[in-house]
Amino acid sequence: MPLDTSTYALAHLRLDGRRWSELRRIHGQISTQAAADGSAYFEQGNTKILCTVTGPQEPKRGVEVEMNVAAFSGMDRKKRARGDKRVQEMQYTIASAFQSTIFTHLYPHSTITLNLHVLSQDGSLLACALNAATLALIDAGMPMSDYVSACTVASAPSSDQTLDEQDPLLDLNGLEEQELPFLTVGTSGEEGKVLVLLMETRVQVARLEAMVSVGLDGCRQIRGILDGVVREHGRKVLESRVS
Amino acid sequence: MVNGTAKPPGLAFSRETFAKLTPAPFLHAHLQQPEPIRPNGRSLDAFSTPTIHTGSLSHSNGSAVVRLGDTAVVCGVRAEILLASDIPHPPGDDISEDDLVERLGLLVPNVELSTGCSPDHLPGSPPSTVAQALSYRILSLLHTSNLIKPGDLRIQYTEPATEDDLPDEGPKIVMKAFWALYIDVLCIALDGNPFDAAWAAVISALKSTRLPRAWWDPDREMIMCSPLAAETHGLRLDDIPVASTFAVFGTGSALKQRSEAESWVLADPDGFEEDVCNETVTAVVRSDGGGVGSVTRLEKSGGGAIGKAAMGRCSHMAQQRWREWQGVLHGG
Repeated sequence: MPLDTSTYALAHLRLDGRRWSELRRIHGQISTQAAADGSAYFEQGNTKILCTVTGPQEPKRGVEVEMNVAAFSGMDRKKRARGDKRVQEMQYTIASAFQSTIFTHLYPHSTITLNLHVLSQDGSLLACALNAATLALIDAGMPMSDYVSACTVASAPSSDQTLDEQDPLLDLNGLEEQELPFLTVGTSGEEGKVLVLLMETRVQVARLEAMVSVGLDGCRQIRGILDGVVREHGRKVLESRVS
Repeated sequence: MVNGTAKPPGLAFSRETFAKLTPAPFLHAHLQQPEPIRPNGRSLDAFSTPTIHTGSLSHSNGSAVVRLGDTAVVCGVRAEILLASDIPHPPGDDISEDDLVERLGLLVPNVELSTGCSPDHLPGSPPSTVAQALSYRILSLLHTSNLIKPGDLRIQYTEPATEDDLPDEGPKIVMKAFWALYIDVLCIALDGNPFDAAWAAVISALKSTRLPRAWWDPDREMIMCSPLAAETHGLRLDDIPVASTFAVFGTGSALKQRSEAESWVLADPDGFEEDVCNETVTAVVRSDGGGVGSVTRLEKSGGGAIGKAAMGRCSHMAQQRWREWQGVLHGG
């Protein structure tokens, strides 16, 4: 167990040198592909996702999400079968999150398609996909109620310390996700309305509230980063127009 | 002021409408000008400048992202161990080195186009004929060019001398396993000429591939790999072949005289030009020892508009392209 070593209790530093509330290196870029209506590239540590948006198009299906996980993205080379249930569930979760955020009433009878390409996986896959999709939709000019930002939170490693002293961990990488119980939370807006909350592992109920509140704070930080990326791009576009 | 002096109002279409309605005459109108220029602004012989980034993927042994015009392609190389004991019919000693890689299937390229890269390639569908053909062309080019040396992919074990060995026999070297390279090419955006972009991505990713140091542990009876980055080795790639694709736009038809037909060769076609042209030529060039490259492969399909002279011009342009690529591959 990567965190159950004595070093965590001593210095409270995770394997990659982060503290419990620190996010990984996050980098985002929008308008990466000229051909698509909207495109974005988002990295959270070593998890790298590319998202493109096309639409609105003719048949009415609301928001459709297609996720392609590249064979070279994970630790083992694995060619995903087309009907992979885990990928389908993630697609559905992302689609329903954006169904409620995008003003689809402005586009009746049409489909908005999101294509996510996972180039490298190292934890927080669903969260990174939601963030990349938000940036791509903003690049496409889709009217939405607010940014959708997401992150993962794990319950603190079990030890002899009392419940109050254990801090939940923010933004997990691949190793931490395999070892600790964690949840993914996605919020919309500055005040943090929860859109997505996914938890597939068991955790003590008493720790849940702390995890969710740390998650909401993490989402607020990520929202700030997404906003920064969009504003920076907007500034560049304006500068190139003026000059 | 009676007849015909007032001209009927002409239909004024925007460029995009004209291109959508009648793509072939649109292209023809561009090429017929005294200074022919293509709709994307390039001249007939101009290739798009490639941008290559290697080594950005952390889980792959080698990776490259290539942008050629508006076509963007990501390639990842993963190396997996193939134990010699798992090979059902091991090749005998008489097999030549060049055939070993092909016989054992140590290179497995796969081009994935069904990613939503263009409206013709929607995700979720099985590989189209275009994708299958691209994978096969890359595989056959890798084999015929002998780009990868089998020595780089071997994991050998030198058996220690025992009492039974004769004193003048050298140490016995046993082939214990091989590295199999899975080369996955993912097309992110497609705007014509997938072959050139995919091949560029494959060679850049192979150039950046690092294989860990592996050895056979006789006590545990398995292959062990060293996790240290300093002990990795790259692949020896001399003579990297460079591919250049051309599309031929012709105005010939069954209704016209053969001599009336005109044709133009367009280097590095984009999506619009590929849809309008039937004929394509691909020339692969690699070095021949001097500074001038030599053509190692010539593929042509589609129509019959171009003859020997035009093919000669294509190979000449491909050689020039090869010279430009030497700078990109060895400098960048």
